[in-house]
Amino acid sequence: MATIELENIVKRFGSATVVHGLDLAIADGEFVALVGPSGCGKSTTLRMIAGLEDVSAGTLRIGGVVVNHHEPKRRNVAMVFQNYAIYPHLTVRENIAFGLYTSGLPKEKKAARVDEAARILGLEDLLDRRPAALSGGQRQRVAIGRAMVRNPSAFLFDEPLSNLDAQLRNQMRIEIKRLHQRIGATTVYVTHDQVEAMTMADRIVVMRDGRILQIGTPSDLYDAPADVFTARFIGTPAMNLLPASHGPDGLVVEGAAAPIRAPASAAGVARLLVGVRPQDLVCTDAGAGADPDVLTVTGTVTAVEPLGPETHVHLDTSGGPVIALAADRAAPPVGAPATALARTRALHLFDAASEQALGRAAEHA
Amino acid sequence: MARISARTSEPGVVTTAPLPSPTSPEAPPRGWHRLSMSQKQVVWAWGFLALPILFYAGIRFYPTLDAFWLSLTDWNLLRPARFVGLENYARLVSDPQFWQVFNNTFAYLLIGTPTSIVIAFVIAYYLDRVRFMHGLIRALYFLPFLTTAAAMAWVWRWFYQPPPIGAINGFLATFGIPAQPFLRSTEQALPAIMVTAIWAGLGFQIIIFMAGLRAIPGTYYEAARIDGLGELAILRKITLPLLKPTTVFLVVLSSIGFLRIFDQVYNMTTNDPGGPLGSTKPLVLMIYQSAFSSYEMGYAAAQTVVLFSILLVVSLLQLWILRERT
Repeated sequence: MATIELENIVKRFGSATVVHGLDLAIADGEFVALVGPSGCGKSTTLRMIAGLEDVSAGTLRIGGVVVNHHEPKRRNVAMVFQNYAIYPHLTVRENIAFGLYTSGLPKEKKAARVDEAARILGLEDLLDRRPAALSGGQRQRVAIGRAMVRNPSAFLFDEPLSNLDAQLRNQMRIEIKRLHQRIGATTVYVTHDQVEAMTMADRIVVMRDGRILQIGTPSDLYDAPADVFTARFIGTPAMNLLPASHGPDGLVVEGAAAPIRAPASAAGVARLLVGVRPQDLVCTDAGAGADPDVLTVTGTVTAVEPLGPETHVHLDTSGGPVIALAADRAAPPVGAPATALARTRALHLFDAASEQALGRAAEHA
Repeated sequence: MARISARTSEPGVVTTAPLPSPTSPEAPPRGWHRLSMSQKQVVWAWGFLALPILFYAGIRFYPTLDAFWLSLTDWNLLRPARFVGLENYARLVSDPQFWQVFNNTFAYLLIGTPTSIVIAFVIAYYLDRVRFMHGLIRALYFLPFLTTAAAMAWVWRWFYQPPPIGAINGFLATFGIPAQPFLRSTEQALPAIMVTAIWAGLGFQIIIFMAGLRAIPGTYYEAARIDGLGELAILRKITLPLLKPTTVFLVVLSSIGFLRIFDQVYNMTTNDPGGPLGSTKPLVLMIYQSAFSSYEMGYAAAQTVVLFSILLVVSLLQLWILRERT
């Protein structure tokens, strides 16, 4: 168990800087997900924490100790890799015991630890098998077992579920989350999948181009994204964005039937982007109203996606394509005109130039 | 119906007969088109394989089998072969020259193979980590493999000459070490030739070892480093076990190579092939001399059969020892 602190961490490969001065403090026992598109520096950051990459500049502390120049083994972290990295020539038991190779424990203690890990992960019946005879999910469990037996001060996961199929991924997601709740070890989890980050992490770090865009709890990020990138990255389907500008009767949103009341935060910003999550934008049969606290989007239906619990309606509006929810699953036919409504308090406002958030549009009484 | 019966005539073969064409629904397919897709594939495959198989049967397998028969005759190119039973083998067993040659052959095998494998692995292991001029260094190691054995052997012959001509003796002299006889000595000749043979094969072994090393995923090493293993432990626990298929391949290939060593020996000791008192003579050279100096084809065939048996036993033994345990 340990805290992990990154202070102005920089990583350079030759002349290319891939991580630009990260600051991040991870509390003891916290589950933090680093999330972002490929090439955003999240894996490099994890590998610096693990000691597989040198830190070019800045200070890295694990458990309060500066470990910039410590070999991986002195950092006492455990890592689980995307391709599992379990050894094909060793049995499951030997693979898990490999984590204790340098522990110097007596044989019985090692065996007891291996059995304990196998029991927690449900691998008891597979201990004498070779990895070739295991499924992807079982292999990843072996890799987690190897990490567990050492009682490391922190667990590092590098896209551990990316090689699994969708169903197994959901299952392993829950298993890793339960494991964290049970063991309570500090965990850093790298993923490009925002769903994994949202469902598992205590706090999410959104990264792009080697910089942190936003740090927050899953609901922070969902409800108050700091910029357009985070807003669109978190949540499925992605948040709709419509260009907007000030008019005589309020905020004129492209694709909307009528202007909406301009919130105070929008004052002084000429060009804006109005964001609305598909879950907040519901199709209606009623015509466009004149309520300035309701955003009324009109467009032509281009596609309908029934997902079971909800149905997504793709609209082509004058402000661009928009995804809305069908009311009571009754989707309008493709090609027909449709109207979708959202309360203005559900809208997110962004400065179109800087792409920074201006806050939520408050509803006026 | 004809098509249906043709289709079901071969049970176990999954076939898909063409659907009846709408223009001629009645006409049953004939000739080539009667065959199912998988049957056609088989016909094509055998069509392509036929030529190489005939070729191999004619110039490889037939002579090999013929050697077994010849070893039981006294054929000498001039007279027709006469069956003599195991006389050639009896002569072989009582021939002191044969036992000398037998020992030499196994000396090449038992010293040459492990030495070359270990040297090749060490070079490949470190070369794999070198980034500076990696390609050039690799090419330099591979170069001997591309050179003809005769040319190499003559250069090495010059190296081994007595002073003041020989390069090695010249080098030794600068340190005050007395001149060594090398190829002229009954004790040093065989190791001297072995060095050349090892050097000649090294490039190939290094390339294969490096390919094997490259095939091991980098995360295996990273995972081991995080688990706290040192370099030696990683080498022993991960690299060597995972490199086993490569090693098996090279050990078998190199063993066969050393058991069949000929051109290095022949070219380095041309005036007296086989070295002083036959001290470097391997089995293949003895076969060559029996056959083409003494024209005792039957005797040579018996030696060939012995060599064949040794090669077979050694190869099977190695495959068994180094087999994949599952």
